[in-house]
Amino acid sequence: MASCGRSQVISLYRMLMKESRKFPSYNYRTYALRRIQDGFRANLHVDNPKTLDMLLSQARESLALIKRQVSVGQMYSTQKTIIEGNDQRGF
Amino acid sequence: MATRIFARCVRTVRQYSVNLNKTNVAIISSSVPRTLSYLTYGQKSLLPQISGSTSYIWQRRQYGDLPPLTLDNIRDRVLYVLKLYDKISPEKLQVTSHFMKDLGLDSLDQVEIVMAMEDEFGFEIPDAEAEKLMTPQDIVQYIADKKDVYE
Repeated sequence: MASCGRSQVISLYRMLMKESRKFPSYNYRTYALRRIQDGFRANLHVDNPKTLDMLLSQARESLALIKRQVSVGQMYSTQKTIIEGNDQRGF
Repeated sequence: MATRIFARCVRTVRQYSVNLNKTNVAIISSSVPRTLSYLTYGQKSLLPQISGSTSYIWQRRQYGDLPPLTLDNIRDRVLYVLKLYDKISPEKLQVTSHFMKDLGLDSLDQVEIVMAMEDEFGFEIPDAEAEKLMTPQDIVQYIADKKDVYE
């Protein structure tokens, strides 16, 4: 991870995680959180600025997509699954 | 003619409301045989009947308050959250242990820890502050400052 983009990457990670937590559907929520964690971990040691730029723009697109899907999901929310209980955190 | 249509409308509305509020069935059915003039006022006059039929309403206030925050209290909660985090082994965890140097976590783990703290204590920690929180002691100190907790 290039040092210049470091804070950018971390704030993007935070935003993605925060946004994904708002998914009303348990399945989407846990998938999104897991996918974000795995995606960032997999590219933890990327140094090439070009690759980094590509990954960052990909992450931004995903963030926009997650935001959209969260609001769509909130319009059509269904009953909670039985394993969710009272815990809202999703992990 | 007009009054008959009106009466029929009122009756259908009444039947509908009987189906809706099953708890009020007794009250409404007792008022159905009365005159039309009464039925038009029905909605208003139902209220005292209902409140009269429930003999006793027990009112109680529940004040939601957490136990007061102290430094010990905050430290216990912070350590509890950290112990539940699956990448930290509870035996190695000390109040002064550094997340990256001592516990072998990376910056993404640290972000997750800060988010877990936000959940636990119920307030947002801005990015600039979150970067500096590297030991449990830092987190305790930061939360104590934010919540105005002093010795």
